[in-house]
Amino acid sequence: MVEDTFLADDLLRQLMSVGEVDLLVGISSHNAASTISHAVHAIEQSFQQHFVRQRVVIVNVGSGDKSEDGVVATGFGNFVEKNVRLPRITSLRTIHRVTANFSGPPSPGIALRTILAAADLLRARACAVVSPATSNLTPDSIANLLRPVYREKFDFVAPLYTRHKYQGLLARNLLYPMSRAVFGCGIRELYSDEWGFSGRLAALCLNQDVWHEEAIRARPEAWMAISAISSDFRCCEAFLGEKSQAVKGPGTDIVEVLRQTVGTLFWCLETQQSLWLDCERSQPLPTFGPAHELTSEPTDLDRHRIFEMFRSGVTELEPILSSILDPETHSEIKSIVSLEEGKFRFKSDIWVRTLYDFAASYHHAVINRDHILQALTPLYRGMTFSFLVEHSDSSQAEMEAASEMLCVEFELQKPYLRERWKAKVEVKS
Amino acid sequence: MVSQNGKESRPLALQRDSLWYKDAVIYQLHVRTFCDSNADGIGDFAGLTQRLDYLQELGITAVWLLPFYPSPLRDDGYDIADYTSVHATYGSLEDFKTFLTAAHSRGIRIIIEMVLNHTSDQHPWFKEARSSRENPKRDWYVWSQTDTRYQGVPIVFVDTETSNWAWDPISKSYYWHRFFSHQPDLNFDNPAVFEAVWDVMKFWLNLGVDGFRLDAVAYLVEREGTLCENLPETHAIIRELRKRLDLAYPGTMLLAEANQWPADVRAYFGDGDEFHAAFHFPLMPRMFMAVKLEDRKPIIEILEQTPEIPDSCQWFIFLRNHDELTLEMVTDVERDYMYDEYAMDKTMRINRGIRRRLAPMMNNDRRRIELLNGLLMSISGTPTIYYGDEIGMGDNIYLGDRNGVRTPMQWNSASNAGFSLADPERLYAPVISNAVYGYQAVNVDSQKRSEHSLLRWMKSLIQVRNAFQVFSRGTIQFLNPSNHRVLAYMRQFGDETVLVVNNLSSSAQAVELDVQRYKGYIPIEMFGRNLFPRFGNLPYLLTLGPYQFYWFQLRRI
Repeated sequence: MVEDTFLADDLLRQLMSVGEVDLLVGISSHNAASTISHAVHAIEQSFQQHFVRQRVVIVNVGSGDKSEDGVVATGFGNFVEKNVRLPRITSLRTIHRVTANFSGPPSPGIALRTILAAADLLRARACAVVSPATSNLTPDSIANLLRPVYREKFDFVAPLYTRHKYQGLLARNLLYPMSRAVFGCGIRELYSDEWGFSGRLAALCLNQDVWHEEAIRARPEAWMAISAISSDFRCCEAFLGEKSQAVKGPGTDIVEVLRQTVGTLFWCLETQQSLWLDCERSQPLPTFGPAHELTSEPTDLDRHRIFEMFRSGVTELEPILSSILDPETHSEIKSIVSLEEGKFRFKSDIWVRTLYDFAASYHHAVINRDHILQALTPLYRGMTFSFLVEHSDSSQAEMEAASEMLCVEFELQKPYLRERWKAKVEVKS
Repeated sequence: MVSQNGKESRPLALQRDSLWYKDAVIYQLHVRTFCDSNADGIGDFAGLTQRLDYLQELGITAVWLLPFYPSPLRDDGYDIADYTSVHATYGSLEDFKTFLTAAHSRGIRIIIEMVLNHTSDQHPWFKEARSSRENPKRDWYVWSQTDTRYQGVPIVFVDTETSNWAWDPISKSYYWHRFFSHQPDLNFDNPAVFEAVWDVMKFWLNLGVDGFRLDAVAYLVEREGTLCENLPETHAIIRELRKRLDLAYPGTMLLAEANQWPADVRAYFGDGDEFHAAFHFPLMPRMFMAVKLEDRKPIIEILEQTPEIPDSCQWFIFLRNHDELTLEMVTDVERDYMYDEYAMDKTMRINRGIRRRLAPMMNNDRRRIELLNGLLMSISGTPTIYYGDEIGMGDNIYLGDRNGVRTPMQWNSASNAGFSLADPERLYAPVISNAVYGYQAVNVDSQKRSEHSLLRWMKSLIQVRNAFQVFSRGTIQFLNPSNHRVLAYMRQFGDETVLVVNNLSSSAQAVELDVQRYKGYIPIEMFGRNLFPRFGNLPYLLTLGPYQFYWFQLRRI
């Protein structure tokens, strides 16, 4: 019966007033007092420039605290359309605005669940989630997320951004290639603040009994993406341009980032194993706009420190790693730890096997799962160091080629993951 | 007979109220289309007179007649060749007088069309003017030796005209025309022209007509470097006409046809010393848009931009008329939407508009037809019904120009829809005869006999409207419920308060109305006279079926 009261009466009353919509954009104003105004303006502009005829709604999930959300500044909840002078380009219809408060402690998972519920109840055809933290959110980028769903009948739209060559290394070296190999369909930005989805996918995700899982509360977007690619929904990627963060979030803490992102990925492997264990395919996603774009502005990275943290971490976590990694993999890791910085390389086959060992150990819960995720941190640092050295002078094409080779390596070794995944089950049985 | 100021033609009741145009329900028709008394295939005044009982029964209080003057009929009579007579096919001047008296005796006022801006090129004035450059009437029109004066002035009929100047081979010079090239503009800089048109108006006023709908008033005067529209000199002309009208013919009225933005039309009311009334053109397409979009935004938006007008003035509003559903006063985006939703077949489009009637545009959906008529009758302004729309007549988009919405009135299921005893081939236009809108299915007689017909429903709608002056003279205040599919407003006049709630959508809706200000009032549904729960402290919850609307009289007892 708790589930029946997930949506507050006030929200239901607002949804009742909105009625069926074509497009829904969800946003969370929690802790975004300084940026929400820009984001809402961009959404409205997007509707006015690209979807003038459609029935549209903006759903904002906030804490109800003005100082945290800045909801007053944005005019949220103010349904009066101000007098405007004609003629001008404007939405033919009212741009509806709905404000919902978190039904528990604020979290991205609850925000998404609220947005999905609104999408389901309003029978939205195309939806997008955007982040007020993206300072350069534009009407076009929002439209790029909505259009493939609304016009081309896709169910999930993942974003693509212009990145610095050293940005998004976690996605490039781990999340993208591994998810592509496992689920047969790769999304470059598995973790993103912006994505698009269909009402059909929203309904499916809403009805999953996952919303109290920690992995979903913290980073629900990857779960939604994986749900889409593993369930034969039509997925694509859309280029959104550059991405600037107005405020730095908790993403700067690599341990926490790994816990949230890789943790959710492993959790998805666990919960959706029936969908990927026998999956042999690997297919690219259709892309709207450029597939990828790199900038090469200089960036400060302390490679030496990264390498030292890798080396010390592996040494300190030796007992834990021995319980996670296959002995052969562990042995190879130990052998490269002893290499000098100048000669160090984290070969892709070892990296892939390392990750598969971690995934299998997470599955079998050989030790506390949170400890497993933390133990991955030094190894990821080692891989990052190796990547930075290897690609310091690489062109975009060369980096793409390397990335593709890594994907292939993940795919080639998928039987290894399968074997390790099932091994313990067989033992148990 | 008829006095100098025409008052004897009107019964006493019609003479008393000088603001009658505010309370009026107008019925627009063309004599040609309504009833043919002499079996020549063309409607006439004698036939129209025979049908006045029908109009009285319908409940309308005024008839607006489209041009009936002698004319070559190259623009549906808006090309007048003689201002003080009746086109022979419609009867005689005596027939008109008989009609006028009969209408007045039924309490129906008559508004006639008057085209001041231009004449037909067959008008004797123009024939004289073009005959030589020395002719005294030469300066009654606007001439030029070049076609480069008034550059940049828009062309109205873009489908047929390429310039506002036409070459006259007789006097070997160009003449100015804002409309068709066979309609030369009169030169209102010449005082003799003003006096001549005033004489024309006096002629009809002396017969007893109650008002004029002045066509194309925005274009009376031309000035270099302007768009030749809405010029101060034009307003001065209107003011002088009004002054003379008020002095000699009190109780008569001037109605402006100015297809402009409300802010621009506002000027034609002056300080209550120009037009008595003007059509609100931009509202009309937005009512159609609102129903299709299922969103009140277009209506609210345009009415919020509509300026206040002097107390003695009134907006006239309409759904459809004899012209295309004009899309001049909408944005490009809105126009595209209207075309896509209401005129997918390009044959339905003409100029910048849609040449369709109300019922076909609504796909003959009775609920939507009723909703739009309910809006027409309850929103502020004097409603104008286009003949045939009260029975849901169809159109014929395959007739040229806008003739598809000007087909014979459908009286019964007899030959020619009861419009004429002539052979069908002789009718000025074929009657609508398709399976859905044909006269066998849609006609006055059958709808009179059917208790739930559109005609019967329209009669009751008009009856309720006529019973409450709040609709014609009251203020309007829009409520702002969060459900945008619902358009709700309060009308108030003196002791009368009415709440109107319209569901613009095709699905059932719930709406909560903030009526705190009216706490304690009892809403009485105005058609069934049923009581609804009293307004209390909480928002007033109503549920409405698809396209349903309520009119509530609010009473504090």
